[in-house]
Amino acid sequence: METTKTLKTEKPEKYDEKSLKGTIVSVGFVAAVIVVMWVAVFWIYMERV
Amino acid sequence: MQHRLEEIWMTISVGILVVFMIIIGYQTFALGMGPPSHSETIDPQKVEQIAPFDDPGVKEIAENEYEVVMILQSFGFNPSNIEVPVGAEVHFTMTSKDVTHGFQVPGTNINAMVMPGHIQKISHTFKEPGNYLVICNEYCGIGHQAMSTTITVK
Repeated sequence: METTKTLKTEKPEKYDEKSLKGTIVSVGFVAAVIVVMWVAVFWIYMERV
Repeated sequence: MQHRLEEIWMTISVGILVVFMIIIGYQTFALGMGPPSHSETIDPQKVEQIAPFDDPGVKEIAENEYEVVMILQSFGFNPSNIEVPVGAEVHFTMTSKDVTHGFQVPGTNINAMVMPGHIQKISHTFKEPGNYLVICNEYCGIGHQAMSTTITVK
């Protein structure tokens, strides 16, 4: 019974670590899109001043 | 591990917002490149009796600096034909006699909302000669699509 309890508590931690790596890649991708679009619009504005 | 990654993406997210706000703030307050303002008001029913709108047109106010006093109404611009020299700084002072109109010159940064009761100001330097299209970009009525004019830059 004790072994079962230990396994149950360990598994979710490993799963969380993996999913967070995917999340930071996704967040980084979204951040890159936002930055590129913002810089592009800013560049167009400055070109027309 | 989890907290470290969360810290990284939260720092990046907040950092991006802060950098954007610093650049926009510097542009607006230090370089004077803020959006057009309409802090001055006017009685829309007496527009043609109140200066400078009692004499709309293009006026040279300094060397290589012009003021265009313009009244917008359904469905036209007064004056309708504007001519300014290349490289001159042009200050547009506008108001509306009736409903909300738009004043946009595609391909430039000129884009202002002109509302009745408010005086709208926007400045621009035309660096290239040519005929610049001016359009109303706020739906103002049944003839909205015909509300346009040109600015001639020589």
